[in-house]
Amino acid sequence: MDLSLTDEQKVRKQEFNDVCKELEKKKPPSYLGFETIYEYDEAWEYNLYCAKEFAKKGWLALGWPPEYGGKGDMMDRVLFAEARGYYGIPGVDIFGVQMLAPTLLQAASEEIKREFLPPIARGEVMWCELWSEPNAGSDLASLSTTAIKKGDEYIINGQKTWNTGALKADWGFGVFKTDPDARKHHNMTFILHDMKLPGITIRPIPYLDGHAPYCEVYFDDVHVPAKNIVGQEHEGWAVVNLLAGFERSGINEIMSMIRGLEDLVEFCNKTKRHGQPLAKNSLVRNRLAELACGLEAARALAYRVADLQNRNEMSLMDASAGKIFFSELGERFAFLATDILGPYGQVKTSRWAPLDGVWERMFHEHFITTVSMGTNEIQRNIIAWYGLGLPRMR
Amino acid sequence: MDLRFTETQEILKKMARDFLTKECPKTLVRKLEQSEEGYSPEVWRKMAELGWMGLIIPEEYGGMGYTFQDLVVLLEEIGRNILPGPLIATITSTFLILEAGTEEQKKELLPKIAQGELILTTALLEDDGVFDASGITVKATPKGDDFVINGTKLFVEMAHVANHIICITRTKDGIVTEKGITLFIVDAKATGISCEVMPTIAADKLCEVRFKNVTVRKKNMLGKIDEGWPIVEMMLRKGAIAKCAESLGAIETCVEMTVAYSKERTQYERPIGAFQALQHKMADMWTAMETSRYLIYEAAWMESEGLPCAKEASMAKAYVNEVYKDTAKWAVRLHGAIATSADHDIPFYYRRSKAADIAFGGTDFHREIVAQKIGLA
Repeated sequence: MDLSLTDEQKVRKQEFNDVCKELEKKKPPSYLGFETIYEYDEAWEYNLYCAKEFAKKGWLALGWPPEYGGKGDMMDRVLFAEARGYYGIPGVDIFGVQMLAPTLLQAASEEIKREFLPPIARGEVMWCELWSEPNAGSDLASLSTTAIKKGDEYIINGQKTWNTGALKADWGFGVFKTDPDARKHHNMTFILHDMKLPGITIRPIPYLDGHAPYCEVYFDDVHVPAKNIVGQEHEGWAVVNLLAGFERSGINEIMSMIRGLEDLVEFCNKTKRHGQPLAKNSLVRNRLAELACGLEAARALAYRVADLQNRNEMSLMDASAGKIFFSELGERFAFLATDILGPYGQVKTSRWAPLDGVWERMFHEHFITTVSMGTNEIQRNIIAWYGLGLPRMR
Repeated sequence: MDLRFTETQEILKKMARDFLTKECPKTLVRKLEQSEEGYSPEVWRKMAELGWMGLIIPEEYGGMGYTFQDLVVLLEEIGRNILPGPLIATITSTFLILEAGTEEQKKELLPKIAQGELILTTALLEDDGVFDASGITVKATPKGDDFVINGTKLFVEMAHVANHIICITRTKDGIVTEKGITLFIVDAKATGISCEVMPTIAADKLCEVRFKNVTVRKKNMLGKIDEGWPIVEMMLRKGAIAKCAESLGAIETCVEMTVAYSKERTQYERPIGAFQALQHKMADMWTAMETSRYLIYEAAWMESEGLPCAKEASMAKAYVNEVYKDTAKWAVRLHGAIATSADHDIPFYYRRSKAADIAFGGTDFHREIVAQKIGLA
């Protein structure tokens, strides 16, 4: 066991931190965390600016093979994610950089790789994911949106939903039923398409607080070049599973919570209640300490997941465990922090809101991590079925 | 970064698992719990042959010279199996000697500890049961070249079979309770010492030790007079990590036994492990185990490297305390009535989860340390 960083890694870690710390100073007031980039133009512009800054340094292609413009390794990606998480910096497209790129590298044809990877590395093209449908959520394989091949095109018809950032994205990747007569899991294809194609209608779905990070996307005879597929035709399910395995260490989210804890500790030290600092309240101390223990455990497990990924020994079980753990820690943290803030815990960003109103946001934003990327209940199934070898649901 | 065990650690782990499976079956554990001694001198001797008591003792003092991390690997295996006896008491007392002992004390005691000839224990807790210096009232009073110890220690692990007791005494009263603490290595059979085993949940032979005008030579003082508390904190920190490692092994067994049983036990014409109500609980147990594991390994690595890790050690202990109790509780619950029987093995782990929680500081004690370390005023 050795958790130390090499001298080179320490240098890069410092550089990641320095750059993110500088970018933090340029945050516009409307940028209050990752989800806000899809809501406010100014926050989206900031996202694009950060992407360009990272692209200049080659940091959007960390861990890629050199022939596609890659540099560094998976460990660099972890250190970079830590810095971004801690300073709360966007600019790394979760869909393009974190999910699609590694999938393309493993499963796409050379032609597709050459066409789609460079714009991702340059921070030019932003992506969204088109998986869920109104009647296909956790049971994604029961999807019904079709992409029927006609000549050298697919014609897509149907509806996708819960598409984060679809209104802002340039391109989308999705799974569509391409062979309606074939058996489940062998009837769909992983397709890449321009979001501006004729026939695509995108509508925002108001989130429970009235914001709209999610969208629904309608397809009405949308023509997509047949070459734009990843993996084999009709075998998109395998690609979906491959993609789902990437980037679930959660280190970014965990570092963001560690920063949140630091800020909350500072708040408790300088805020008086009953004539003494909140920090002196033994319940506050005990509950914050409990959370800090969980955060450290989450970080340690995230390193484990990253260490496995780095050696290509990815364990689905560990990734699922990490996802369950850090996302539910986020829930608990939001409940705890809004408790500590008392009546101020309900105030949205405004002059009355402590800590920029971040905890009011977190009180509902935590669902984004527990529900998306495979609900935590599905993650528990993965651990039970594939990890513990328990019988699958019939 | 590489979170895998080293080759040495893999060998140590395998050797320990094989040895314990063979030498310490649950029939023996059950017998030892009910015995007066609470350990098997025969197994103790064999463990000494394997070098376990001397694992972290440097080679110059007759030990193996392994790292703290290696010890954690061994203790995880011990926790998996359950090994009643004075191993942790002896090892944590050894920490004190290694840290604060004079050359003479080291030369005299360490080779014998490594050989399995000496059992040591440390007497910390007293009447009010707290793990901080304010609880220390047992007095050591100078008398010529000697000191005289008076007072009562409680919860002293395996003191009834120990050769030496490291007694944490108060040598000076003051407002700052951490000042005025002095450690002495006391012959456990010295005149004026009486010892009684307390009935405890894990039957792990915690003792009440009464000191009545017990004379101890000045040369048996461990560390400097009045300045003993930092050494005790070091022992609590290392002991906490060590106990966590033992708990981790126990958690592993609880998870494995529960998963295995749920595949065998049939109700409603299917294995109970096919029901999602149980599957999700087992997934949670597994997740809690894995989060514990890497938190412990992180603290152990830092301790091994000599990095400051009071925060990480306390985080691990506060966290693992709760995980062990919860996992063992669910192991009983998912087994059903069968695991509430004294004949079943799961109750060993459940009962021990409470003892492990208390040893080297309970959850709230360690959370308070964490609260300070994360910067709460």
